Amino acid sequence: MSSPVLSELAGVRVGRTRYQRLHVVTKLLVPLSISAALACARGLAATASLLAISAALNLVAGIPLRALKKYVAVVASITVFIALSFSLFTYVPGRVTLLELTILRVEAERGCVEWKLMVSDRSLEYMALFSMRIVTMILTATLLLGSVSDREVVWGLRGLGAPYALCMFVALLFRGISFFVSDFVTVRDAMQVRGVEIERGSLRERFSAYSRALVPLIMLMVRRSYEMSLALEARGLRLTSRFSGRYHAARAARLDFAVVAASLALPVLLCCGTSLGVVP
Amino acid sequence: MAGEATVVRRKVTWMHVVSFALATAISYVLGVVSSLISPVLGAPGVSALYVAAAIYVPLGVWMGLWGALAGYISCFLLGLYPSGYTPIQSFIWSWCDFLEALIPALFFRLLKVDPDFTLRRPKYTKVFVPFIVVGTLLVLAGIVVQVFWGAAYGEPFVSFYRCAVYLGTALVAIGMVVGVLAGDPKTWLTYIFSGIILASVVSGLWGSATLTLYNLPPPLPSGLFVPVLIGWVVGDMIVLSTIGTALLVALTPAIKRTPIYVKGWLA
Repeated sequence: MSSPVLSELAGVRVGRTRYQRLHVVTKLLVPLSISAALACARGLAATASLLAISAALNLVAGIPLRALKKYVAVVASITVFIALSFSLFTYVPGRVTLLELTILRVEAERGCVEWKLMVSDRSLEYMALFSMRIVTMILTATLLLGSVSDREVVWGLRGLGAPYALCMFVALLFRGISFFVSDFVTVRDAMQVRGVEIERGSLRERFSAYSRALVPLIMLMVRRSYEMSLALEARGLRLTSRFSGRYHAARAARLDFAVVAASLALPVLLCCGTSLGVVP
Repeated sequence: MAGEATVVRRKVTWMHVVSFALATAISYVLGVVSSLISPVLGAPGVSALYVAAAIYVPLGVWMGLWGALAGYISCFLLGLYPSGYTPIQSFIWSWCDFLEALIPALFFRLLKVDPDFTLRRPKYTKVFVPFIVVGTLLVLAGIVVQVFWGAAYGEPFVSFYRCAVYLGTALVAIGMVVGVLAGDPKTWLTYIFSGIILASVVSGLWGSATLTLYNLPPPLPSGLFVPVLIGWVVGDMIVLSTIGTALLVALTPAIKRTPIYVKGWLA
């Protein structure tokens, strides 16, 4: 089994669980369903339940929670700005006002404009809702990238009879990331050997040094594209060539059907529950 | 037959597909690095200096729709990881980068401008940047003040709006004139208007609106629309007018000699 995209990008070791052996369509559908359900979730309870579901699915998929360590800073900074948004940029009155402070008051032609710092029970509720939504989003994206590998996507496309050009694009896209990183290291070393201080210096100097590095990097990309396209043409491959997808044909098992049914039911039930007022 | 001009129909080749894939990978890596180094107000995936824009906007000029698609796919992947948007949110949001690369591609092709970034007065390329950035920022600030407060409360917001818009427009005009003097007037005028100003503003509007106002669901509160918009537009303009311009000046002659250069939309 090839390693998932998350392992390729972030080096996270993902366990080989039963979830990982599901059909690629199933593994794509589950995060999509959670995304659709998140769009229907309006209240705290619905969002919290989606958060719990996505966290549980990550565990079932064998994605270690330490993979989310990198997100801690992201979540913290977003939460701070969500809090600022609901206290400084948006006026959200509630039943109980915990803090109210006028920062700026401008007497205008038609009334008075006040910029207030305000914390109410309702603004706190919104802060919790948006923060939970962010965490659910992150868990859903992690589930998608932690369960699907680039090979599975390519084999899936070949199985669907997609043109060879599309399959090659997807394969090269993932390989291109490591090509670029290795090219960057080469260019950076070459610049340092010639006396360019990339790691030291002021922010402006570093920004300018990194910008200059982009010129050789793009030329390397052009040269590599030229070599690869010549190699593909030399093999007689056309953009419209089609290959049999039978060699890596994945079969859907009963579990796949059950998971697909459950994941399709999730947004439908949540939408119905929200519109009927059953789910808060 | 002698005397008859033959029109060679250009086709999409492997060169286009391969360079598109590699360009997407480069844009993705630079997007990740930019959004981690200089984030905008905690908005995931949004950077005050989004260096990836300096790759796919020139690619739009050189490679037409391939550059725009590279922008879209790299932004879609950036939305998934490390920004953490759901696939649906990322699908909607990523059109901002598609539009950002499409606008200059559209202008260069519809106006039939052959990109010639040869410099006659190199220093002018550094001078126009502050005029364009500050001018656009003033115009944006003026419009924001008028929409949120001026229309409802009147003075002194209306006066601020008028001053900001007039002064901003004047600065942008000066910046464009200075930019045009740098080299081929058609190329520079098209690039500064479509590739720097319009691309940044349209991309910023779509991006910040789909982050805060319209998405399924919007990942950020609506109150953050203006700060994210201003940070996005100014950041993109700085990157496009410095790194993007440098890449176009340095690489356009070389790229035009290679088969990846696209005269039409795809070939």
